Amino acid sequence: MTDSLTHHETSPRLLGRSKLCVQALIDVFPLALAMLPWGVLCGSLSIEMGLSAWQAQCMSLFVFAGAAQLSSLNLLGVMAPPAAIVSSTVVISSRHLLYSAVLRSDVAHLSLRWRCLLAFLLTDEMFALAVAFKQKYRYFSPLYALIVGLGIYSVWNIATLIGIVASQQWAGLSHLGLEFAVAAIFIAIVIPMIKSFPILVAVLISGVTAIICTQFSVENGLLIAAGLGMLAGYCCPPKEAR
Amino acid sequence: MSWWVMAVMALVTFSCRFSFFNTLINFNFSSRLQRLLSFAAPAVLTAMWAPIVFMSNGQTLVATLWDPFLIAGLATVLMSIVIRQTLLVVILGMGLFVAMQYSVA
Repeated sequence: MTDSLTHHETSPRLLGRSKLCVQALIDVFPLALAMLPWGVLCGSLSIEMGLSAWQAQCMSLFVFAGAAQLSSLNLLGVMAPPAAIVSSTVVISSRHLLYSAVLRSDVAHLSLRWRCLLAFLLTDEMFALAVAFKQKYRYFSPLYALIVGLGIYSVWNIATLIGIVASQQWAGLSHLGLEFAVAAIFIAIVIPMIKSFPILVAVLISGVTAIICTQFSVENGLLIAAGLGMLAGYCCPPKEAR
Repeated sequence: MSWWVMAVMALVTFSCRFSFFNTLINFNFSSRLQRLLSFAAPAVLTAMWAPIVFMSNGQTLVATLWDPFLIAGLATVLMSIVIRQTLLVVILGMGLFVAMQYSVA
């Protein structure tokens, strides 16, 4: 399985260790910045919903899943039973199954410790950057993924802490439009990936479906959109075949 | 929220992330499944950015064309096609967004 990495159509452009670290920090910075408001919101909402400061911080330290945390806090606010909170976590986290499947061949040769570490830090942002890195340099770098993951983990937890201790002063942060950074980065990652007609179809179907799902507040629209997009791309015959 | 609910949540998120990283069950994806998975990254990332760009209020499609998220988003798409420098595209896109955000406000 390790060999599939080295026998790629195009040979990998290996980066030195220090260059890799710098690259990872540069790449993660804007994404980490964009998640600040969410982390702050998560921290302040936790306190509002009656969690102790310690619990609020532990949630970000150990659950470490923005969307799942915010949804569970909202459910807590409407007095939902624990089963509802857990099942919402399952639904929201299920997209990570997909990331895990995509990266499987890249991490299969790593030690259990490395796989656990990378799995724990596997977020939307880390997945996006790791895939973009692979696209650009033709290999998967565990170190790059680790630094990106740790960067996001630390900012998420610092943001949560800020939310816990000083939510009032930072309330305006969510109106700055920082989420546009996420959109810009994901666009810049996705567009160069569109190298064939099926990928274009997958992207268009996924985007349109995501918008429709959001418009009609369909639960877990993200997964439906990604699934439909993938299927559409899969069903689309590649150019050579036509 | 009780500690055990939080522990279950942590367990769920980690299990989902670790799922296919396990090597106890030794299997390889079939070439069909691998082809399907090759569309995962562009599809899932688009499912995340499209609503931000086209539904800046988070719920409904933008009503006006003069929307910082829409204009700067579409500009970023166009720039990504022309310029192959990811970082430059992001900086230009963000710059346009910030400029618009503050000229609209």
